Amino acid sequence: MNNIEQIELNIVESKPDELDAAPLASETANLTVENPARSLNAAGSDRRLTTFYLRYLLLPFILLSVTLFGGMRLDGIESSFLFLKPPLFCLVFAAISILMFFRAGVMKLDGWLSERFSMRENAANAVVLIALFAATVQVYNSLLPEVGVPFWVVAFCFSWSLLNYLLNELDPARLIRSMAGLFAFAFVAKYLILANLTAPAGGGWLRSVLENPAQEAFTWLLSLPRFAPGTGYIQFFALILYLAGLYLIPQKMQAG
Amino acid sequence: MKEKYIQIIGTVVTVLYGVFVLFLYAAEPRSIEDLTVKAKNTIETATTKGQVVIGTYTVDKALFDQGLSEFRAEKYVAARDSFERADPEKRDAKTQFYIAYSYYRQGWGRVTNDDELFKKGSETLARVRILDPDLRVDDPDLQIKTAADLQHEFEEGSKITVDDLNPLKVFRQRK
Repeated sequence: MNNIEQIELNIVESKPDELDAAPLASETANLTVENPARSLNAAGSDRRLTTFYLRYLLLPFILLSVTLFGGMRLDGIESSFLFLKPPLFCLVFAAISILMFFRAGVMKLDGWLSERFSMRENAANAVVLIALFAATVQVYNSLLPEVGVPFWVVAFCFSWSLLNYLLNELDPARLIRSMAGLFAFAFVAKYLILANLTAPAGGGWLRSVLENPAQEAFTWLLSLPRFAPGTGYIQFFALILYLAGLYLIPQKMQAG
Repeated sequence: MKEKYIQIIGTVVTVLYGVFVLFLYAAEPRSIEDLTVKAKNTIETATTKGQVVIGTYTVDKALFDQGLSEFRAEKYVAARDSFERADPEKRDAKTQFYIAYSYYRQGWGRVTNDDELFKKGSETLARVRILDPDLRVDDPDLQIKTAADLQHEFEEGSKITVDDLNPLKVFRQRK
């Protein structure tokens, strides 16, 4: 933003009595006072552009980054990438979550897709909506344990919580807070508690049993996959990104 | 006006990024180096499939010739590799015939035949019969010219009969 625009904005945002008191040193300032409607339009236009950048560039970028990182794990032995496709449960949970977002008023359907909008607007909004769905699927993919008893326990907890959210009247802020809490709990369960119960990968079976008998037993009993510690950091980053994305989701995509 | 362009650019960039993410989950690269190799393979496959769709698919002549010279030098594994790279979509009857023939020659034995190689040859030959049932290869180096004759050799070679005990069989010639 150049200096002239900054002066214009400052004056537009000032109250009239402050304007009187302020020394009008430059001709630019005089011009602005003479034509306040034009300044208002310029500021509104800038705000509108920023909103568009946020909604159509930053928001999908964040959501697709979550989609990318949500299923990514690091192998426990080689630390190579593993891209885990989401189980069907994740798609169901994501569909329920999106439904809840609409029901609680986090988003309004006619503010995203409507016959009032042009084809271009509907297409752009649909793409963001698909990105949101994909990111939600991958967040569940990230937080659900991969296999075994922990998978079913956490899946049951998610089902129970989502059912409760769905049947209760929730306002948008409360729903987002509840979901953030649910995700944080699931993250702690998987990447702090279960990860610490998992025996480290590599080394022989006998050596693992001798060195970490309890961890080896838990790993075997709960079928815990052996991922590198870096996995937790990646998933933490993905979860934070997703919550940031949720914060940026508007009720209606129409800017202004 | 600018808003319109932001929407269009946003949509295009999002779709491209989405395709990249889908590719990663489909290709499952294990490292950054692996990602480069898989991306290259995917582009090559997509190009070949595109050629098939629009009807401009052809066999790579250089690779086919290389395979043919390896086949004549009796390097059948290398020949098959060259033929397979020459016809990655397995749509050229002649190339597939040579692949099947390489299985026959490699699997043929004076006393016993390699059933595994004959089975693979027979499977490849089934593809030839679908692609071009009337195929006739005019190669003086080959004694078997048609898919039907080669199939007969595979079938006869895989059977266990009393004739297999005939000691004079060791004097028979590979075709």
